[in-house]
Amino acid sequence: MDRLWKRIALALVPVAALAAAQPALAQVEVDVVGGISAPMPIAIPAMPTSSPVNTAAGNTTELGKQLAQVITNDLKNSGLFRPLGPDLLRPVSIGQVTAPAFDYWTTTGAQSLVQGYVKANGDGTLTVGCYLYDVFAQNELTRQGFVVQPADWRRAAHKCADTVYSRLTGEGPYFDSRIVYISETGPKDRRIKRLAIMDQDGANHRFLTNGQSIVLTPRFAPNQQTIVYMSYENSRPTIYAYDLSNGRSRRLLSSQHLAFAPHVSPDGRWVVFTMSIGGDADLYRVPISGGTPQRLTNTPGIDTGGSYSPDGSQIVFESDRSGTQQIYVMNADGSNQHRISFGSGRYATPVWSPRGDLIAFTKITGDFRIGVMSPSGGGEKILTQSWGDEGPSWSPNGRVITFFRNSRGSGEPEIWSVDLTGVNQRHIPTPLGGSDPNWGPLRP
Amino acid sequence: MKRGEAGALAVAAVGHVILFGLLSAGFLSKSEPMTLPSHAIDVSLVDDVAMQAAAPSSVEAPAKSIAPDTGAPTDAPPPADAPESQPAPESKAPEPAPAKKPSDTPAPEKPKKPAAEKPEKSRTPERKETSRKPEAPAKTPTKSEGKAKAKPDKPRGSRLGDDFLKGITDSGEGKATTPRAEKMSATVVAGLADAIQRQVQPCANRITNPGPGANEIISKIRIQMNRDGSLAAKPQLRGQSGVNGENRRYSQRVAELAMSAFIACAPYKLPAEYYDVGGQGWKDIILNYKLPG
Repeated sequence: MDRLWKRIALALVPVAALAAAQPALAQVEVDVVGGISAPMPIAIPAMPTSSPVNTAAGNTTELGKQLAQVITNDLKNSGLFRPLGPDLLRPVSIGQVTAPAFDYWTTTGAQSLVQGYVKANGDGTLTVGCYLYDVFAQNELTRQGFVVQPADWRRAAHKCADTVYSRLTGEGPYFDSRIVYISETGPKDRRIKRLAIMDQDGANHRFLTNGQSIVLTPRFAPNQQTIVYMSYENSRPTIYAYDLSNGRSRRLLSSQHLAFAPHVSPDGRWVVFTMSIGGDADLYRVPISGGTPQRLTNTPGIDTGGSYSPDGSQIVFESDRSGTQQIYVMNADGSNQHRISFGSGRYATPVWSPRGDLIAFTKITGDFRIGVMSPSGGGEKILTQSWGDEGPSWSPNGRVITFFRNSRGSGEPEIWSVDLTGVNQRHIPTPLGGSDPNWGPLRP
Repeated sequence: MKRGEAGALAVAAVGHVILFGLLSAGFLSKSEPMTLPSHAIDVSLVDDVAMQAAAPSSVEAPAKSIAPDTGAPTDAPPPADAPESQPAPESKAPEPAPAKKPSDTPAPEKPKKPAAEKPEKSRTPERKETSRKPEAPAKTPTKSEGKAKAKPDKPRGSRLGDDFLKGITDSGEGKATTPRAEKMSATVVAGLADAIQRQVQPCANRITNPGPGANEIISKIRIQMNRDGSLAAKPQLRGQSGVNGENRRYSQRVAELAMSAFIACAPYKLPAEYYDVGGQGWKDIILNYKLPG
């Protein structure tokens, strides 16, 4: 009897299994592939003001438009955005700053929207509000407020642009930063070279030295206030430190030897530089407060162009110990020196990206070009195709490189920048010729 | 007959009777001896093979040719003749269920007018281009004939009859008289996914790639919808794949862009009867978004 039941049960098993196998269906899953590789359309209308007030930087109504224009230019220069600036857009009311008329913005084709306001405070400062919206999703992505002195109004715009840029690209900010460089003018035999500083967009330009001595290779210290550079002052080229807060220079080395190509460590404690003794140029380091240099390399030939890795543990430099100029990496104490460049041609002026992932350099193969490679030497990529591009320096976020360009037949070098794609190159305007740019850190 | 034989026969006969009785009783005592899936499953056809082969091929085979060679393939007449008036001829979206089972209770939702369909025609998911004609209202036989002629290469083209609607809805005159399924068929699931994909595509196409390597990231996003096709809640990121050291900085942004694209194309026009089917349906869906390349 039992067996009979068992049989019947067994016969039913497949049927039951079949029934159970009936659709255990999954959730509706939608696969969507879509998107374009193009600059993002973003709308930046003029920033309204609650009450028009005349300030040291102009009337707040006019200032609102200028702020939007600076943001527009910053985003445009990044190459990642296609901004619709204040000239192309209708003004917004102060009430709309926090409640955008999305229906209108949708019609502009903008994917994102930057709104803000400007307000003059009783103490003479300005408050600039900065709001970023997603037009598609009709929501707020981020907001920031900045209180600045009227003279620093452009910084508020740069900070706002940085907020937008970082939020939408995932990259670090870089617009609120400065570039120090060598301003050049005059005939070749009586060239006047001065230390000069400007915002990354070329605004707020000013000269730091008077041009009586030739100066070269300025480099920012991480503290933003100190610039180390090489000067022919007293006809003995050596390294000085310029203090932006008081406008004074001080000599870093007591040695009478020729010293050049300084670079400050990320912790701000050391300056690596090249000193030439009896025709043999080697890398040394010295505390930024001055003192006795410590020797890091000791090979025949020229070792120069030292640049710290962002964690301070390593130094990249160029050396001709192999017979031609090539790029080498060593530990910060001088140990473990090894060559990383093996391509054709010569390599000069290596600089380590603040992101740590790349080293930029000048490649010399007849022409001078700007390129990047990984710290292990792989993945070499040439970013510019011009005739005389050299002296790269990284933006604070490691996505853009500034350099100087000599054009064939032209006497005046120019300051340029290029992003890592190599596509987005732009000229940074300077009053005179410009060379040896060094991009400073992001301002606090 | 010997006595012994007779006795044996009697025993055998009695034995068989008992056995028969036992067996009968045994079967009868089982309330459902063969639970063959008696709950019907509605079958609707998609007009294209979906991303996953959801439709069992056996479904297709027996279908009769409804409009084999009928006359000239009079081009699908303008939608004016459709009582439902579904004007947007370019509408890639499935009609929002004008279809109700006769046996069903009248649907609470009125058939939505797809007129508000997004104007962008550019989206056209590439792979659908050939097979997906401008949707014709489902009720006009002439149209289906036209359709059938329009794609003679499709083996099952001529089977597309009255009840063919976007591949995911049942028409009012549906031949199925079985009750609504408790669960959606794989075909319906695929058809729904297809319909949503077509509606979100134009917005996805406007997304700008934030940077190199971002196109390697696939974002899985849960989306909860209201019956009217709007979003019931903020989309939630359920996970991402393809994120590496290089593109990590874009991962959050890519997810945001996907959500933003989905929100931008809302509300969605989807068949009301599949809003919530036994916990499935388009009430709660998953979006897998990726930048091209």
